[in-house]
Amino acid sequence: MKISPMDKLTLLADSAKYDVSCSSSGSKNNYKTGELGCTHNSGICHSFTSDGRCISLLKVLLSNICIYDCAYCINRVSNDTPRTAFSPRELADLTIAFYKRNYIEGLFLSSGIIKNEDHTMNLLLQTLRILRHEYRFNGYIHVKLIPGSSKELIHEATLLANRVSSNIELPSAKSLALLAPDKSKEKLLSPLKHARDITLERQNKPISMSTQMIVGATSESDFDILKLSSSLYQKALLKRVYYSAYIAVNHHKHLPVPELCKPPLLREHRLYQADWLLRFYGFSYDEILNEDENLDMQFDPKTFWALRHLDFFPIDINTAPKEVMIRIPGLGIRSILKILQARRFKTLHFEDLKQLKISLKKARYFIVAGNDFHRGSTLYEERLKLALIHQGGDIIQPTLFDTSIYTGEF
Amino acid sequence: MILLYDGSFEGFLTLVYEVYYEKLPLTRIIKQMPDSLCFERCHEIFSDEKKAQKVLDAIKKHFSKERQRTIFNIFLCDTKEHEMALFEYIRIGFKNPKELANITNAHLFYIQNLEKELLSLVHKMYGFTRFEELEDGTLYAKVASKFNILPFLGEHFSKRLGKIPFIIHDTTRSLAFLRDESSHEIHSIVSFDTPLYSKEEAHVKEQWQRFFQATTIQSRHNPKLQRNLVPLLYRTYMSEFQT
Repeated sequence: MKISPMDKLTLLADSAKYDVSCSSSGSKNNYKTGELGCTHNSGICHSFTSDGRCISLLKVLLSNICIYDCAYCINRVSNDTPRTAFSPRELADLTIAFYKRNYIEGLFLSSGIIKNEDHTMNLLLQTLRILRHEYRFNGYIHVKLIPGSSKELIHEATLLANRVSSNIELPSAKSLALLAPDKSKEKLLSPLKHARDITLERQNKPISMSTQMIVGATSESDFDILKLSSSLYQKALLKRVYYSAYIAVNHHKHLPVPELCKPPLLREHRLYQADWLLRFYGFSYDEILNEDENLDMQFDPKTFWALRHLDFFPIDINTAPKEVMIRIPGLGIRSILKILQARRFKTLHFEDLKQLKISLKKARYFIVAGNDFHRGSTLYEERLKLALIHQGGDIIQPTLFDTSIYTGEF
Repeated sequence: MILLYDGSFEGFLTLVYEVYYEKLPLTRIIKQMPDSLCFERCHEIFSDEKKAQKVLDAIKKHFSKERQRTIFNIFLCDTKEHEMALFEYIRIGFKNPKELANITNAHLFYIQNLEKELLSLVHKMYGFTRFEELEDGTLYAKVASKFNILPFLGEHFSKRLGKIPFIIHDTTRSLAFLRDESSHEIHSIVSFDTPLYSKEEAHVKEQWQRFFQATTIQSRHNPKLQRNLVPLLYRTYMSEFQT
């Protein structure tokens, strides 16, 4: 079957879309006079698709031909889908045409495994060589390291790309053995470890790396997932871990049935919230969850933590240090910075916080501001839960005749 | 007293000069004579290069680089009535620079927020600006934004487009940033003809639209989130939203 160039793009973009990473940040401004492209430290989103995900990079597969048979993957060898491939030249030209028009920040290149690992990695690198050396392109490039490819090729990838990654896919070795018989945890992590070591020798800052885990396809608890992420961050191996709610595309005896399975979007959202707590809010994974627990669906992880540690509250926002303040539910880093800036000039009350456009919806139950504190409900877990759910401010003491609180009709 | 000025930066600096040296009692600053009856005294300020220069020199001497930039940035927010707040910012800055961080002062908080609003708009437009290739290889982009962000866009794209000449056309303000070997500045546009596009342009645009469709995950459909992230306001010149 002959596939037209337009259909080829559609097919290879369609196959690459389940990769979550879209980040184009973290590279220093590398502007060179007269050359094409330059990265932006904070990253730039160029558009958003109707699923609300950002387009920052031209995310495509070089090829959807694959010799592996991973149960969850749309491109597994046992699936009967049309197969096609870009030539490195075609792909480089397309990247430049898109970049010039400011559609994209750069290229995100991945591929199914053609023939063998080294052959595939070589084709990916060929594309990068054309972009970097022929077009003198300095924009952002994220390339997948093909697990099992040779050290020399991985070395070259770290020289050409801004970010490299390799997906762990599943949070435990057991699940991997079950669903991705051609992959093992060691094999998936080895290119990352190797890439870190060679870039560390070369410069003091290692190349930025990320990985991705599928959530909801197997039975691991959120505790296991966060523990794994946390250990990857601590070893300074990774900059980001992405979580991808499992979207069923295949039938398999160990996987949820596609027709009955909706992607667990809320769980994914809660995992990202917890991930933020790990990376920016000074929480550790065992503070967020106990062994084998899952994240609460009703409350965000910070509120959930606060409800379990009421002895930590209330916090006086006029005197507490930053690392204590960031544990207050409902206040983010930006609000905290505003408070820290403003409290140098006067004692802040609730009214001042409102003036500073700081939301007190959740925070008011947990703080003292000057003479102000929330008088309606005491720091008592069950009552606070009700107050947070209903956001009604004062809580009416339920009586035998008043069941409205339970039915939610206020 | 209500002060009327011509809306230019020079005019505003002259106004600052007059208030300082003529000790004018200031209650409001306006750009246009109001149509309705006005019971307060209204005084018109005429831009004066010398006076403006004097104030500018003083600002450069007394304000840190970062705060000077804030003053210029605020002036780019030309659709907001920022004059009184900006005047207060300058007044306080001369009196006690440390006080400028005091966001419990409503004027200073307004300035801090307005600058954030400007910079976040600029950041969005770094991504949402779309170029089209003209017959001669020049890249041409139209923008219609709330604030005058051409200086930012011009600098940003000069860095990344290398030697390719380009034009960014602000259709609401009739301004354009032109960049080629000889020019690197903003011009005002008197008349404008629809340009001729290169042969590949339509094809590349179609490829982009195809990519945009293909990379969507249907089972995560969430148009409300999309609306929050790219409000309709920005979509006027974004080719992926034109059908």
